[in-house]
Amino acid sequence: MNPEMKIIREVSDQAENFYDDAVKLGDHAADALKAAHRSQMTELENIAESALKSSDIFDYIKKQSARFHYWRQAFAGHSDTKIGFGERLKTYLEKDMAEKLATICKRLDIGNSSDEDKQKRRRIYLMLIRQFIHQMVAEYEYQISPAPAAKKKEA
Amino acid sequence: MLSTAQLEKIDLLSDTLLYDEAVSFVQRLVRVEHCNPLPTSQVTGLLNIAESFRYDELYRFITHQRDRNWPPSKSDIKTFYSALEQVLSIMMRKRLREEFHLLTERPGGSISEMRQEADALMARLAREFIQHLVAENGLIAAKMEDERRQQRMNRR
Repeated sequence: MNPEMKIIREVSDQAENFYDDAVKLGDHAADALKAAHRSQMTELENIAESALKSSDIFDYIKKQSARFHYWRQAFAGHSDTKIGFGERLKTYLEKDMAEKLATICKRLDIGNSSDEDKQKRRRIYLMLIRQFIHQMVAEYEYQISPAPAAKKKEA
Repeated sequence: MLSTAQLEKIDLLSDTLLYDEAVSFVQRLVRVEHCNPLPTSQVTGLLNIAESFRYDELYRFITHQRDRNWPPSKSDIKTFYSALEQVLSIMMRKRLREEFHLLTERPGGSISEMRQEADALMARLAREFIQHLVAENGLIAAKMEDERRQQRMNRR
């Protein structure tokens, strides 16, 4: 298997692993932003897709969190009910995702010394972040659509 | 004109080094030195100049703000710009060549060419650093405002 395919496979495997976490963040996003601020999620997805640096995505999350109170809104369904949506997303991407990146790089024998290896790491990191945000936004969309509410009523 | 390799290296430095340094920079000023976050008017001015990619103008702006005779209520602004000037000066004098290895080796090149390249590199690096610190500054300011609001509500 060529190196690029190996990277894609590893990222897909990790995406399977963090799916449940993305769903939880998507639920938090739905609770905090509601359908009224759907454009915020669309914009986040666009930024993640077009960003050349992970730090640009983190900066964006911080800026939105600073600007809009609903990005700082906590979620009753989370164990730590004091953490706002933006903060929780940022922490996940900065800390948890960095650990998943380290796992992939270890498996693919990608070091952290040469600039070439560091650039590879950055690219994989961006791929992971994009996958996570896609999954999270998909869950957000599902939660704000009328269908889940109807299901809850039925239940 | 910077090369693609130089620009890629700056992106790498921004993600792996400057981001964390900018976050620490703001957190240290607020939590250790007990400064208020930089006010919005200052943030806007600083960001606009940083995005113009003119390092000489950016540096002039920072030293001007540092050297202004601020009233005591705004002395945190002076502290902020003093600290920022130090960070950028060390980057320009030392880190650009010794740590970042961004300067092109050009035997026989003129001092003016070298200066131009250093300025172009510093404009990019400073912009990255400032963008990151502005994002962190805004988040801290919003959190502090939330805390104040909560305290006011608790008192009622």
